Amino acid sequence: MIAQPERKIALWHLGVAYTAFLIGTLMGVLQVFIRNDALQLPAWLDYYQILTAHGVLLALIYTTFFIFAFFITGMSKSLGSFGPKVRLFSWIGLWVTLLGTVMATVMIIAGEASVLYTFYAPLKANGFYYVGLALVIVGTWISSFALVGHYMVWRRNNKGQLSPLFAFMTITTIVLWIIACLGVVATVLFQYIPWAFGWTDTINVELSRSLFWYFGHPLVYFWLLPAYIAWYTIVPKLLGVKVFSDSLARLAFVLFILFSIPVGFHHQLTEPGISNFWKFLQVVLTFMVIVPSLMTAFSMFATFEISGRKKGGTGLFGWFKKLPWRDVRFTSIFIAMAFFIPGGAGGIINASFQLNEVVHNTLWIVGHFHITVGTPVAMTFMGLTFWLIPYLTGRRFTKRMQRLGFVQIITWSIGMLLMSTAQHVLGLMGAPRRTAYSGYNDHPQAMEWFEGIISNHVTMAIGGTILFLSAMILMYIVIMTMFVSPKAETPEQMVEFPLAESDMSNTPKWLENWWIWIGIAAALIVIAYAIPLTEMIQHAPPGSKGFITW
Amino acid sequence: MDKKQSDHDMNLRGTLVSVFFVGIVIVAMWVAVYLMYVAR
Repeated sequence: MIAQPERKIALWHLGVAYTAFLIGTLMGVLQVFIRNDALQLPAWLDYYQILTAHGVLLALIYTTFFIFAFFITGMSKSLGSFGPKVRLFSWIGLWVTLLGTVMATVMIIAGEASVLYTFYAPLKANGFYYVGLALVIVGTWISSFALVGHYMVWRRNNKGQLSPLFAFMTITTIVLWIIACLGVVATVLFQYIPWAFGWTDTINVELSRSLFWYFGHPLVYFWLLPAYIAWYTIVPKLLGVKVFSDSLARLAFVLFILFSIPVGFHHQLTEPGISNFWKFLQVVLTFMVIVPSLMTAFSMFATFEISGRKKGGTGLFGWFKKLPWRDVRFTSIFIAMAFFIPGGAGGIINASFQLNEVVHNTLWIVGHFHITVGTPVAMTFMGLTFWLIPYLTGRRFTKRMQRLGFVQIITWSIGMLLMSTAQHVLGLMGAPRRTAYSGYNDHPQAMEWFEGIISNHVTMAIGGTILFLSAMILMYIVIMTMFVSPKAETPEQMVEFPLAESDMSNTPKWLENWWIWIGIAAALIVIAYAIPLTEMIQHAPPGSKGFITW
Repeated sequence: MDKKQSDHDMNLRGTLVSVFFVGIVIVAMWVAVYLMYVAR
C-alpha cells in the first residue's frame, strides 16, 4: 500500500476524472439522438455546445486526470513515497488543472465556446475558454515536474541503475507531453488569447492549426502510452509472468518520443498552405510510429503465449484458452487491445496521404477515435479503475462488483461495435462529421447513405445508448468502490497493485539516457517543422477575423 | 547462459501466427480503402 498522502492525491484525480466522464458521456448520448432527429434540444442548448463538452470532458479532462492518478500511484509504488515538495506540487498541479477545467467548462455551458475540442480558428470562443485550456496545460506541467522531481531524487540515490520500468515509462510519457504542449501553448498564448480578447484583429489560421496539430497528434500518444504502460507492466502480473522483454519495452517507448511529434501534418493533408513535400515527409515519419506499436503487439502476444503455455496450453493456440478470462482486470484490457487492431489499421489509412481524401472530415474519423481513444485507451483505464480505486481506498472489490465489471465491459464493447462500425461505414460513403442533424434536402445520394442496416443513424443511436448504460454501470462501480464497498480486513481481501517484475539485467543503459532521445526528437522536429512554419509566418495570407457561428 | 537457453526454448509459434493476423487486418483494410479511392 502506498502512503496515505499520495492515495489522497490520486483519489482526488480519479474523482475529477469520473465527474468529467459522467457529464461527457451524457453529452455523447444526447448527440446520437440529435443526429437521429429523435431529440430536439431546448433553445438554450446547442448541438455544438454539447459536442464541445463531450470532446473536452472526455478526450482532454477524463484522460488527463485519470492518467495522473495512475502515474502518481505507480510512481509512489515503484520509486517509494513522495517527499513533501513532490506532494505539494502534485496538489498545486491538481488545483491549477481543475481551475482551468472549471473555467473552460463554464464557458462551454455559457454558450461562449462552441468551438469543439480542436478549437479551430477562425471560430472564436470567449478568451476565458482559452485561458482555461492554458491553465489545464500549466497544471499538468506542474504535476509532471513534481513526478520528474521524484524520479530525479530516486536517480540521485540509485546512481548508475536503470529505473523501474513503470517509472521509466511514466517519465517517457511526461517528456513527450511537455515537448508536445509547446505547440499548443505557443498558439494559445500568442495567437488565440490576444485575438479572443480583441488585442489583435486577426489570426493566422494555418499557423494556428499547424501548432495545434504539432500538439494534437502526440496528445493521442499521451492517452495511449499510459494504456501501453498497463499493457507492458500490469498485464504480465495478471498472467503470472514477467515482462516479456525490458529492453524491447523501453525501446518502444523512446521511439514514441521520436516519432509521435513531428507528424502533425497528417491531420492537415487536405489543407492548402503546406507544400506536398512537408506533408509527405511527415507522412513517412507517421509510418515510423507504427514500428513501436507493432513491437508492442508482438510483445503482448508473446506474453500471452508464454503465460498460456506455462499453464499447460499446447498446440498452436492452446495457450489462448489458458488466459485468465474470469479476471475482469485482464479481460477488459484484452478487449481494449483487440479493438486497437482495426483502430490502428484505420489510423494507417488516415495517414496514407491520398487515402486521407476518402475519409477526411467524415464520420469515419469519429468512428476511428472511438475505437482508439474511446475503447483501447478508455477500456484499459476502466480495467485499471476496477482495482486502482479499491487499492487506494482500502475497500474490497467484491464478487458482485466483479460481475458488474463484466457487464460493463461487454456492454461497452457491443455499444462501441455498433456505433463505431456505423460511423466507419457511413464515413466511407461520405457522411460528414462535426455536423448536427441534417436532412440534406432529401438529396437521393445522401439518403442512400443511411439505408443500410449498419450504415444507419438508428444503429448509431442504439450503440450510443448501450454505451451510455455501460458508462452508468461504471459510475456505479466507481462510487461503490470509492465510498460504499466494505473495507478490506484480511490480506486476501486487500486489492493489490499488480506490477510485474521486469528483468533489467540485459537492458542497455543508453536507453535511459534522456539527452539522446530528447536531442534526436528535437532534431526531427526542427527538420519536419522549421521550414514550413517559417513559410507560414513569412508568407502569411491576410489573417482572419473571428467567427461566432452559434 | 540459462537465460539464453530459455529464450531459445520459448515456443512462440502462436505469437508468429497472431502477428501475421494483425498484419493481414492492416493490409486488408488498407487495400479495401485504396480500391475505393481508385474507383472514385
